[in-house]
Amino acid sequence: MKKIVIFLIGCTLCLGFFGISQIYAEENPVICAVHPFTGRFAFAGIHGVDGMKDAIDMANEQGGVNGKKIEFHWEDGEYKNDVGIAAFKRLYAKHKPHIMFGQSTGMTKALSPEIQDRYKVLYSAYTFAEIAASPEENPFLFIAGPTYIEMFNVLLKYIAEKDPGANIAFFYSDTEFGREPIPAGREICKDLGLNLVAEQVAKVGETDVTTQVLDLKRKEAQYVIFQGFVATPITTVMKQAKDYGLDAQFMGTFWSTEKHLLDQLGPLADEYMGVTAYSYYYQDEYPMIKMIREWNQKHHPDKADYRSQAYMHSFMTALVFVRALEKADEMGGFTPENLVKGLQSIKDYDVGGLMPPVTIENNSIPVGRIVRGNSKTGQFEPVSDWIHLK
Amino acid sequence: MRCGDFKETYVRDEEIFQSLFVKFWLGVLAAFLLIFPFIANEYMLYIANMIGFAIIGAVGLNLLTGFTGQISLGHAAFIGVGAYTSAILVTRLGLSFWLSIPLAGLVAASAGMIIGIPSLRVKGLYLCIATLAAQFIFEFIFIHWESMTMGITGINVPPPSIGGFEFNTEKRFYWITLFFVVLGVIYAKNLVRSRMGRAFMAIRDRDLSAEIIGINIFRYKLSAFAISSFYAGVVGALWVFYLKVVTPDHFPLLLSVEYLAMIIVGGLGSILGAIFGGIFMTLVPEIINTLSAALKTIMPGNEAFFEPLKSVVFGMLIILFLIFEPRGLAEIWNRIKNFFRLWPFSY
Repeated sequence: MKKIVIFLIGCTLCLGFFGISQIYAEENPVICAVHPFTGRFAFAGIHGVDGMKDAIDMANEQGGVNGKKIEFHWEDGEYKNDVGIAAFKRLYAKHKPHIMFGQSTGMTKALSPEIQDRYKVLYSAYTFAEIAASPEENPFLFIAGPTYIEMFNVLLKYIAEKDPGANIAFFYSDTEFGREPIPAGREICKDLGLNLVAEQVAKVGETDVTTQVLDLKRKEAQYVIFQGFVATPITTVMKQAKDYGLDAQFMGTFWSTEKHLLDQLGPLADEYMGVTAYSYYYQDEYPMIKMIREWNQKHHPDKADYRSQAYMHSFMTALVFVRALEKADEMGGFTPENLVKGLQSIKDYDVGGLMPPVTIENNSIPVGRIVRGNSKTGQFEPVSDWIHLK
Repeated sequence: MRCGDFKETYVRDEEIFQSLFVKFWLGVLAAFLLIFPFIANEYMLYIANMIGFAIIGAVGLNLLTGFTGQISLGHAAFIGVGAYTSAILVTRLGLSFWLSIPLAGLVAASAGMIIGIPSLRVKGLYLCIATLAAQFIFEFIFIHWESMTMGITGINVPPPSIGGFEFNTEKRFYWITLFFVVLGVIYAKNLVRSRMGRAFMAIRDRDLSAEIIGINIFRYKLSAFAISSFYAGVVGALWVFYLKVVTPDHFPLLLSVEYLAMIIVGGLGSILGAIFGGIFMTLVPEIINTLSAALKTIMPGNEAFFEPLKSVVFGMLIILFLIFEPRGLAEIWNRIKNFFRLWPFSY
């Protein structure tokens, strides 16, 4: 009997101690992500996963968030809305994260009401759409870079300075991605005194763009801005423009300022410009890029030759995640309110040249840089300094 | 001693639940479906809702393709029509969600009847291409009729409610989905036993003969399109209120192909097949995803190898099922049932 009593007391003490230790255990921050690791956006997802993971591993190596290690979990969303949302819900049910990252604009739109009402997690995604940069409606959503409209603004501002009153044409895909900044782009042209002479629409992957190119020539477009394409039909348009004698400057936004586009353009690469949000992997004069390169040499030697802008986007997003977590922790814990406050209070955050010192404004970072392709090196080279919008 | 299931009257022969065992197992299934939301987590309930939508949509398409023999590639478009109709009715006209569901079904049914008109002239692959037009036409309308559909921005809708009770979580929405699944399946099961259902099958088996024996081909073909599209419209309405947002990219052509795959894998011309197909096409990729997530923990760093394998495994499973049982999962189920009917004395 005595032995049983001692055993029971021992068990009670152990359980009590375990319970108390659980109560006082420090809460580790948890980040979950749905990346398009397969599917038609996999070109970004494959690098994006590594970018996010590397930034979090680096932060953990440097002590985590005030000594608390960051947990990171991710799943493949296949760039399909239903699969992505299922992965989001699976990750949420399993890990109860403080921060989530989504795979697309579509997924962001579908989840934003629930993030606002139920999940209350800080959220970013592979998107530069306005919905993720509207703090009044969606305070939990943010973009670690400029929105598409802000990118258009940077491009048009650059053109207005170089060539006032120039003839502009928008060439966009008939998709959400393509149409997003067009209405705002029209207004920006008016405000900057630019002459919007044409708007051409084509399908992603379209091979016959003769009509559009001839129309651009007829309307004497001097600058053609692409939106909603990654490669095709940009390459086709530029090749046909050359054939038909259209002398215009072609430009693109973030997803069409990747190295593979220059490789496809060949000698025409010199005639292509764009706006990007982050420094390139080969710009190792910046300390953060140097650090990223060294990290990749050590941890991903097979991929260390080049890392795409999708990697930089995910990496930068993770840096903002970590900064918001640090600030929330200083405010008393990783609550949704603290995370939003922490995010919105980020000011002049030095990210080692990956971007200029970061200040979150309206849940985005409204800054971009104009780059031009170089057919000899196959690289984009900056032709402007960072252009701040606000 | 009587041993076996004898059907000695026509009434007994036409019964849906033909034996005590069927009634017992259906009772068990009903009990499970009622208990499920209390034991499942959010994610499992999300998948359960998605399976429910897939079942309703697949049952609808099976009525058209499996029972009437009319191949349609416009199912996703009709789902979209239902989704936009209910979203517009609720947000613009202030109608309740409950009223918007049948109206969404009716509008989708009207669209289905219009798109189904070519079925009177063309058959098979030609009809398939004619219905493909629905996809392009409606996709264009969803994007470009901005004053009504809000274009690419889409429409946000409030959660459905009764009084002050909002169906704003997976668990609460589960009851709505379950109600419509049960209603849809019971209606379809009864429909195929009726004059109309037999007319559908007669048209599928030989439309010329059907016409000779007095079946109005025009009426029944369009009815099949209308009923199938009604189901699609209801799925669309449920889907939009489940996600609380509708955008044009929710209804790609691939969705129509997926629904066709559901009824082919499940079993053409079988209500049970549509149910199995809906479950298979929704659940199996999720199981594969869960396994791949587990593999990521066991073998970190090999994601680039096994993540793309998911699609290969899923594709292989479909091919294997079709090779070993071309009549679908419903037929496999029948064989299992037959095996146990005389088990353990199957001599």
